[in-house]
Amino acid sequence: MKCRQEFKLTEGKKERIGVYVCHCGGNISDYVDVKKVVEEIKKGEPNAIIVKDLMFDCADASQSEMIEDIKAQKLDRVVVAACSPKLHEATFRNMAKRADLNPYMLYHADIREQSSWAHEGDMEGATSKALAHVRAAIAYVKSAEPLEKIKSETTHSVLIIGGGIAGLRAAIDLSRMGVNVMLVERSPALGGHVAELGEIYPYYTSGPEIVKGLVDELKGRDNVAIYTNATVMSYSGYLGKFEVKVKVTHRQPGSEYSEITLHVGSIIVATGFDTYRPPKGEYGYGTVKGVVTLPDLVKALGDGSKELIYEGRRIREMAFIYCVGSRQKPPEDGGHANLYCSRYCCNAATSQALTIHRRFNNVKIYHLYRDMRTYGRNELMYEDAAKGGSIFIRFDEDHPPLVAEDGDRCRVTFWSSLIENQPVDILVDLVVLVTGMEPRQNEELNRTLSLPAGSDGFYKEIHPKLRPVETNITGVLISGTAQAPRDVRETLSSASAAAAKAASFVLKNELELDPFVAFVNPQACEAHQECIKECPYGAIELVEELGKKARVTSAKCKGCGACVAVCPTGAIQLKGYTNMEIKSMIEELAR
Amino acid sequence: MTELPEEAYDVLVIGGGIAGMEAAIDLGDMGFKVALVEKEPTIGGKMLLLSKVFPTLDCASCISGTKTSTVSHHPNIRLLTYSEVAGIERVDSGFVARVTEKPRYVDASLCTSCGECEDACPIIVPNEFDFGLRGRKAIYIPFDTAVPKNAVLDLDNCIYCMQCERVCPADAINFLQVPKAHTLRVKAIILAVGFKLFQAEKKKDYHYGEYPNVLTSMQMDRVVAPTRPYNAVIRPSDGKEPQNVGYVLCTGSRDRTVGNPRCSQVCCMYSMKQAQLIMGSLPTADITLYYMDIRAYGKGFEEFYRQSRDMGVKFVRGKVGKIEQKPDSNLTVYYEDTEGSGGMRKADHDLMVLSVGLLPNTEVAGLFKNVKLDLDEIGWIRIMNETRSSVQTNIDGVFAAGCATGPKDIPDSVLEAGAAASQCAAYIRGASASITAHEVPAGI
Amino acid sequence: MSTHAFEPKILVFSTNIISDPGIDQAGMSHINYPSSSRILRVPCSSMIRPEFIIHAFESGFDAVFIAADGGDCPYLSDCSVRTARNVQRASEMMKENGIDQSRLRMAGICSVCSDAFAKGVKSLYDITKGLGPVRSEGHDRAS
Repeated sequence: MKCRQEFKLTEGKKERIGVYVCHCGGNISDYVDVKKVVEEIKKGEPNAIIVKDLMFDCADASQSEMIEDIKAQKLDRVVVAACSPKLHEATFRNMAKRADLNPYMLYHADIREQSSWAHEGDMEGATSKALAHVRAAIAYVKSAEPLEKIKSETTHSVLIIGGGIAGLRAAIDLSRMGVNVMLVERSPALGGHVAELGEIYPYYTSGPEIVKGLVDELKGRDNVAIYTNATVMSYSGYLGKFEVKVKVTHRQPGSEYSEITLHVGSIIVATGFDTYRPPKGEYGYGTVKGVVTLPDLVKALGDGSKELIYEGRRIREMAFIYCVGSRQKPPEDGGHANLYCSRYCCNAATSQALTIHRRFNNVKIYHLYRDMRTYGRNELMYEDAAKGGSIFIRFDEDHPPLVAEDGDRCRVTFWSSLIENQPVDILVDLVVLVTGMEPRQNEELNRTLSLPAGSDGFYKEIHPKLRPVETNITGVLISGTAQAPRDVRETLSSASAAAAKAASFVLKNELELDPFVAFVNPQACEAHQECIKECPYGAIELVEELGKKARVTSAKCKGCGACVAVCPTGAIQLKGYTNMEIKSMIEELAR
Repeated sequence: MTELPEEAYDVLVIGGGIAGMEAAIDLGDMGFKVALVEKEPTIGGKMLLLSKVFPTLDCASCISGTKTSTVSHHPNIRLLTYSEVAGIERVDSGFVARVTEKPRYVDASLCTSCGECEDACPIIVPNEFDFGLRGRKAIYIPFDTAVPKNAVLDLDNCIYCMQCERVCPADAINFLQVPKAHTLRVKAIILAVGFKLFQAEKKKDYHYGEYPNVLTSMQMDRVVAPTRPYNAVIRPSDGKEPQNVGYVLCTGSRDRTVGNPRCSQVCCMYSMKQAQLIMGSLPTADITLYYMDIRAYGKGFEEFYRQSRDMGVKFVRGKVGKIEQKPDSNLTVYYEDTEGSGGMRKADHDLMVLSVGLLPNTEVAGLFKNVKLDLDEIGWIRIMNETRSSVQTNIDGVFAAGCATGPKDIPDSVLEAGAAASQCAAYIRGASASITAHEVPAGI
Repeated sequence: MSTHAFEPKILVFSTNIISDPGIDQAGMSHINYPSSSRILRVPCSSMIRPEFIIHAFESGFDAVFIAADGGDCPYLSDCSVRTARNVQRASEMMKENGIDQSRLRMAGICSVCSDAFAKGVKSLYDITKGLGPVRSEGHDRAS
């Protein structure tokens, strides 16, 4: 009973506690004997200077009464026993602030949702539960310490890694907000994959035009620095204060490269995707002449010629084979496969088909697809392609088409359930493999940043709906196709969303974080390092100078407390939920 | 009508669903003052009413609940619920919006959401938040997780028996309340007005509203939610547990006969999600999805589709022509088989769910008085130059996010809301402050 | 010690954002569950030290129910795995101390999972009722 002994030590301190038990106009008092709760507390708790029952704790008059009490009686701790803290904890913490009491010296005990309403018809049971919750709240405030929001300065700058459309869009937003932007691009030019593309669905704009539009918006902005031929070498620090070393390769002879150090408050990773490259032999790729990928076709269409000719071959009939490198079957041996759908390809392929129908007469296109995923308004392109001379044939995952050479043409064999699964051969001049997106091969950067990836290999957000651009490393954000396959507009959205989050970190030059973070009692820490292994946010490190003790970086801590559970000595604890607070509450709840 | 003095904010966000809440929180966190206007008595929009959400099957209220609570306590967000924008005028400094706050006939500052008034009220009407599956009283708290959690009196259905006034322990009932007219002067606007569901009655051959065992997918989502109306997964006609459920995908989408040729983007996924949830509640039930194409295109969606097949959800590629009711209230589905040997086929089910599509809230265009907001052919808000910005409307300073610009799943809506917040912030800061450069290293 | 009027005392660990609202929901829906339960909220179920659980038994609780975040945890995607591991450790410690391990239960309770919570606590209550007070087990820890 170590805890009780600790308790005795604090008993001499003479806390001055105010306790306010709410009737909620009968909602509590109909099933909880509020008067009895008040009497019991008065009897058993000498440090409860004021114990009152109020008709409505939350009413303005009641709050004023509490403020007067706190001031007049010099209360240093308050317990409010009322409805669910989800409804009014913030109300009462604000009340405490108005009374110049540290808001974390107040505990809001639930005696309505979790007592009176849950145990209707059981006055005795509901009352004893309410009393236990109030006693536990008193035990809590007795061991509570004033907490302050954690404030930390932030550098008014953001680093963007990747100069594709996602990086450019994020740079525009942040720059216009007045945030300094450093953009690092490893290739010599901006624009990424999009810059290489011809007309892009369904916008009827070319890739270079899209990139130019974004780059033009950045021109002349004096708070943007763009580094091309540059790679991130290392980084350190935490939210608000990252230090990033960048290697910039020069084109001029003489100095080969220079190394610069950037100080930023947040980092946006916008490194994009890789196009799936089919292995030799997949659907005849690399083995059958006339088998190309969708990006190859898009480049070929970019020349503006009047006739569709590919490597000297005039194209009159062609076949698109969909889902190449996407929606792959899970291999039985448990090996790697791209299980995911690449999202953009159905739309991109139908749009290219439309372009071909529009530009060239009498080109027949067979689309061998699995599910036509022209979602949203892209459905209209699917309709138009069918009207324009495209023939859509569905194939099953277990019966993919076969591609073989047939004279100077390609023979495609497919099986369709509509013709009783008999093989059908078609002869075409060109086979286009509709290839998907893959996670960017970027081992060096991945090692430097140590950002977690999902099972699909793309960077993983903390939560797709709650924190869609945040990663396990607080302050390091992800956007665009580095996170998941996306089209142009969706990429721009995610880039701007990341910019918004980065801005919320750096715009005010000061961060305000909840005080509920982990802390280490160095006397108790024996450097077992379990907490370090347990923390997914990298918030804890072993500090040699302190004599090998764990230390928490508050700006990295999200306050889950996972470290608390694994510490063999109880040295690491969570503010607002210390082991002492929890144990003393357990003891009171057990009475 | 009580005229209130003009108030100034940086941004007006119209719509308190997931997109509007996210945009408001993002802007609030950046330090901008935001007014969030929601026409319903509670924020959270349609998402808060959903069961679990794909593809991670996390509980919808666990996610939106944190957002509703953040919005209601955020120091930079002024929340106006049960309020409608009456008109917006463009002025030199930005916009002036007139907002009418409807009377709740309940003093929100006194109401403790105890529910005594609900118990006392003798009038029962269908509950719109349960899509008619259960009733509510004329005075009611919309649902347990409503924010703000206050009662609201629906005067149209009230018989003035005054029972609520008599029982209210807080004396919060006030029949004398009148509408309040707010004037909000703002620098920019975010339209997050969401969507409407396709009215299934329009597909006459499916007999929704006529056959009790034909439900819409939104109703079914309520049936499988933990806060579900019947506290069990049962069919309406006789309260039996369904054993053979059929889903008609693309109800009101990809269908020129109802004027909506587009795909609604979310129906494939939410239908599969419901199928998985039904299987969780009723492990022996058969679930069949009648579909045209399974559009599982988002992050983790295809994996979810495969998982659904592995769990035993049946996928039948075919277009449902009509549904007929049998004397035992079971249903026969006639569909065109587009995968097997073709032709018209039929199948029996004991419950049919219509996976209804998403349609625009076109009234948003009428809000603007001296400028014209561009909508597309269907009525979604048009984005001006999608390859430049995903959220900029044709009006300078007016942005749109979420399903206001077209059907979208929750992850995409959240991202677009973030984008709107970002560009809104850029617009305001870019217009007002002269940007000062801090120690920017020179470009190479 | 008379067991005929024995009311098992159950400590429930809930989480601020996920399971505590789910327990509130049980109250709001007026779903009854044993009133001898006591609720203590923490940010995330992964922070519950096995030692807290043992402390509960030592302090006189007859059973402990962990209303975990499950798959809805806002902090950790593998919250369930971590919590389960810690609960397993606590369970082993219980065995060492001669406390019946069925007195400890963990379930993922979402923010509206009122039924799952009420059912879980009731069934733990029934099991514990059959087992009798914790102080009847092993050596007496009440001193």
